[in-house]
Amino acid sequence: MKQVGSRGIFSIGSRLQRLKRDSNRWSIFTLAIILFIALPIISIAIKLCDGPGETWGHVVDHLLLDYIGNSLFLVFFCGILVLLLGVSSAWFVARYEFPFRKQMEWLLILPLAIPSYIVAYTYAGIFDYGGTLDLILRVLDLEFIRVDIMNKTGLAFILGISLFPYVYLSARAFFINQANNLLEASTMLGVGEVKTFFKLMLPLARPAIIAGLILVLMEVLNDYGAAKYYGVNTFTTGIFRSWFSLEEPDTAVYLSALLIVIVFALILFEKWQRRNVEVSSSKSNNHRIHRKRGSKGMQVSILCFVLIPVALGFFIPVLQLIYWTFLTAGKVFDMDFIMLSVQSFGIAIISALITVFFAVLLIYFAKWSMLSFFKNIAKMGILGYAIPGAVIAIGVMIPTLAFDKWLIHFLDDWFNIHTGLLINGTLVALVYAYSVRFLAVAYNPIESTSLKVHSTIPDSSKVLGVGNLKTFFKIEFPLIKAGIFSALILVFIDVLKELPLTLILKPFHINTMAVKAYQYASDEMVMEAAIPSLFIIFTAAIPVIFLNKLLIRK
Amino acid sequence: MKKLILLSAIVLLTACKNDKSGNENRPATESEGQVVNVYTHRHYEADQELFRMFEEKTGIDVQVVNANADELIQKMSMEGEQSPADVLITVDAGRLTRAKEQGLLQPIESEILENAIPSHLKDEDNEWFGLTKRARIIAYVKDRVNPEELSTYEDLASDKWNDKVLIRSSGNIYNQSLLASLIAHNGEEEATTWAEGMVENMARTPRGGDRDQVKAIVAGEGDLAVVNSYYIGKMLNSSDPEEAATAEKVRLFFPNQEGRGTHINVSGAGVAKHAPNKENAIRFIEFLASEEAQEIFANSNYEYPVLEGLEPAQTLQEWGEFKEDTLNLSVLGDNNKEAVLIFDEAGWK
Repeated sequence: MKQVGSRGIFSIGSRLQRLKRDSNRWSIFTLAIILFIALPIISIAIKLCDGPGETWGHVVDHLLLDYIGNSLFLVFFCGILVLLLGVSSAWFVARYEFPFRKQMEWLLILPLAIPSYIVAYTYAGIFDYGGTLDLILRVLDLEFIRVDIMNKTGLAFILGISLFPYVYLSARAFFINQANNLLEASTMLGVGEVKTFFKLMLPLARPAIIAGLILVLMEVLNDYGAAKYYGVNTFTTGIFRSWFSLEEPDTAVYLSALLIVIVFALILFEKWQRRNVEVSSSKSNNHRIHRKRGSKGMQVSILCFVLIPVALGFFIPVLQLIYWTFLTAGKVFDMDFIMLSVQSFGIAIISALITVFFAVLLIYFAKWSMLSFFKNIAKMGILGYAIPGAVIAIGVMIPTLAFDKWLIHFLDDWFNIHTGLLINGTLVALVYAYSVRFLAVAYNPIESTSLKVHSTIPDSSKVLGVGNLKTFFKIEFPLIKAGIFSALILVFIDVLKELPLTLILKPFHINTMAVKAYQYASDEMVMEAAIPSLFIIFTAAIPVIFLNKLLIRK
Repeated sequence: MKKLILLSAIVLLTACKNDKSGNENRPATESEGQVVNVYTHRHYEADQELFRMFEEKTGIDVQVVNANADELIQKMSMEGEQSPADVLITVDAGRLTRAKEQGLLQPIESEILENAIPSHLKDEDNEWFGLTKRARIIAYVKDRVNPEELSTYEDLASDKWNDKVLIRSSGNIYNQSLLASLIAHNGEEEATTWAEGMVENMARTPRGGDRDQVKAIVAGEGDLAVVNSYYIGKMLNSSDPEEAATAEKVRLFFPNQEGRGTHINVSGAGVAKHAPNKENAIRFIEFLASEEAQEIFANSNYEYPVLEGLEPAQTLQEWGEFKEDTLNLSVLGDNNKEAVLIFDEAGWK
């Protein structure tokens, strides 16, 4: 948008005129969807007007510094760890040929399949007295080494090894698809590998890397299970504490608001840092990266290096879980378990489809609306991802209950039909909450593929008189299919792992694997939690491998 | 995309279908089609077994929502009159009192419950009833601590245990209730001093669950751990032989035996204010207080039955009998918020 501020009073008038001229039905649709998705968040925001609760002063005096300190500590150290693990592995996998490279490509994504609180429990189990490490040391006849992982440094480590794939994925996509020409030029000019990486590749990949990093940091700020178990007080544990222990939703809402401010700052930072970078890739002549084959020794060292994050984030926790399963198998596995897995799977698929549907609507309605600032408004829809699941659950309950109660009276008054709650306590509320929570997860991959479709393509279709919808289905949809599939898979995995929101909103009769695993774990029956955890991991792992195929294929 | 939609439709259909066929197979009884909706914080296998037994006995279908008690209370209060909940079960008396204060429960008349449950383990207006007991005990490693040096909870805050005590975080309801009982017995001021002394004496900042505290004293991080009795029972009978071996190394001490008795807490249940199936709810709670149900609570979960004259599990018998604090448990709820505030001021993480 051009600067018009200097024209003073006229600017407002001309802006309004322009607003009137440019708004169309798509603008209205966009607003409708945004409102629908943001309703829970708005409900929470309205609660802010009630002022902070009585204990707000108490929280500020005794707890707030701790929350801020710990949250920033986690953001900082976890951020560094995911950058180190994610970027380095992405570079090696994209740039070099080495044995088992193909397998490594998808193995590096698999840590995403394990809920981070499960990783936290398994590592605590490994380093415990009488834990796996202790047993191994005893077999080797060595002294017990006490590794204390249950503290904030340990938590940063746990979150880092389970979340680095977000950075890996976005960095790798850049290296594979957009780096080749520059890389060739740089090599031809005789610049060494190391220098090329640090001076050229890293700065260029920065927007992609930071986009992944932002996702990680949102997850970090959102973590509840792992932080609680490790005794680290963060904003999220604080929200739970003031909402439930201090019985002050108002104070919890204030904390949520502070958290949202931090996340908003992160999002703005991300926008700012990629302000000068051309996003839509007009350089369609960029070939895929050409892989280098080093010496035997080098190939093996690369393999070993890349194996480190895979082992930390996937193999070690899974092996520990398999060991626990071995100890408890008879207890947990029965017919109910199969029923449970079908339900879990079904809910995750339905929620993924609906969430992706909303994301596509949001992106394209905003696009077709002539008002360019609508694209930024559309971004508001993804805020849900930054808000703790429990808060979203409460946010969903406020408007849906109001609607439910209205509906009950309406049906009673006009049709003399007596009903109970029609939305709350059913799948509808649960799936709605998932969509609000995970819209960002669907939004990002779809948006980034849709940006790659240069605007001249749909434009020429429209010039020829084809409508928006037809253009979308005939031309754009096939082009962004890969993005849509990635979005489906990512939301599917997230729903499969989701916990606090599900705990609060899930209907009678229906249960998910994540809830089952948590029930065991929170009763300190961590070993019994192993089987449902493994189910989540393997159900999520299959689409992850599929996702990798999708991303590799151009 | 189409395939995915198709697949999800199939999954959904099978899910619904199984649901229905399950209903058809149930034997027809007078209570056919009857349900009781249970909001519960307990998610032990023993409970599931009990729910099944109740279903078989009465034909009343037990439908369960599992979540943290705080979240369930929030949910019930938001649902208001339309709440489908019939019964609320929590793992602590404080939360039941809170539910009562928020007007979420209703008084019920049941001779069975009034006779079966001792008065300090239930609400004075019969809005909730304790079903199983757990004691908050001190675990110690036998070769490092002389049990004669142990006496009371109050003593744990004295200088002699400096850097020796392990206890979990103040977010934990069992600690909140323990402090609530100390406020009731000794007053707010002394309770605050106690909390500060405890923070001073902690061998490490609180983390993990009760089992983790037990493991940590065996590993030598401290000498004493304040934990719930049934966790030791569960560890001793754990699927992991290492965990059982760890638990073998600790002994239990029941504090305050000379005075008011050891702090206990209950899992308990109340009938929801707007319960759509009130009669079923009462039958359900009566069943949980019956002898056969109490035996299952005692034997598979290492909790103490509330029914007098019933033998606890073998493991519990080995620990011997103890004198329990007969403070009415409603007080735990009344003092809960105070306790949380004191914890924060004392810097108990």
